Amino acid sequence: MKVMRYVPPSLRERRRYLLFELMGEREIDKRALLKELGDSIHSLYGDVGASEIKLRLIRYHTRKEGEGVVGVLRCAHDRVEEVRASLACIHSITDARVSIRVIKTSGTIRGATRHGGNAASR
Amino acid sequence: MPTFFDLNVHAYPETDVQAEDLLRVARRYGFAGIAITNHDLVVHEELKSPFIVRGVEIRAHSVLELKRKVTHYWGKVPLLAVHGGPDKLNRAAVEDARVDILAHPCGERGEGGLNHVSMRYAAENGVAIDFNVGALIHTRGGERARILSSMQEQLKLVRKYKAPMILTSNAYSIYDIRAPREMIALATLFGMSKDEATRALSEIPRGLLEKRWKREREVERL
Repeated sequence: MKVMRYVPPSLRERRRYLLFELMGEREIDKRALLKELGDSIHSLYGDVGASEIKLRLIRYHTRKEGEGVVGVLRCAHDRVEEVRASLACIHSITDARVSIRVIKTSGTIRGATRHGGNAASR
Repeated sequence: MPTFFDLNVHAYPETDVQAEDLLRVARRYGFAGIAITNHDLVVHEELKSPFIVRGVEIRAHSVLELKRKVTHYWGKVPLLAVHGGPDKLNRAAVEDARVDILAHPCGERGEGGLNHVSMRYAAENGVAIDFNVGALIHTRGGERARILSSMQEQLKLVRKYKAPMILTSNAYSIYDIRAPREMIALATLFGMSKDEATRALSEIPRGLLEKRWKREREVERL
């Protein structure tokens, strides 16, 4: 049985949630994306860097035909730029060309997925 | 928010993607405009959008050929870029004030570069030094490390002589375009600060399009 580790809110790791958009030639499998993203981070920052980035895929949602994918990634709060660079370095997944961009970052999942606000590229 | 420009994009007929499609993606990603710089080829047909700048990227094998082509295109094309690489060509390109951009001076694979003398010419003549972010996207491992280190070297000289610098994607398809914030994140990989990268994507390209430094020759005021 998995034991819940309780950490008081003031001592919890600070995180950032990144809403991203993936545009690809074909439909991209969630696992394939995660693998490619892991490879990209390892290639750029190595094992130590990857451990500090603490990346997780939180949500993954395929949109209508031809409109790509949107999803939410989680990372350490001070490693957003590193994740951005790693995402930008992905040029193909399973031989389908892709490009990924971050739409929005937030401290909560709700903030990242909520419409409006600073939803522009900032 | 600043207005961002990507001044090195390749479109039909050099590649199989239409300029309009590239622009659509670039605008969606937050760019104000793009410049089509096909190798030795100017897009002749009417471009419907005012956000697409007609440019050319001159590829030459000798200094003589370069000079001939610059003379040929100058005045006909709003944006003159030179395909960089070998040291001799880089030097010839920055010595010519008619040239707007020296594209990937480190070569597309990090083999060439500019020395301090060439960089000074670039600053004097207002030739923008291009940092090709696309090369970082499409390589891995040792090759990327080599490109990054030659970019770091260039950046040091660019800072010292205050030459204008720009960031470009060198895109061949819509999937090669990266959003401005992503390009800035990639630029930090070789040591560019966020402010510098933002300027290299917005103010400086805009100044190039307006030929700001060609008239006044005041690079210091940047």
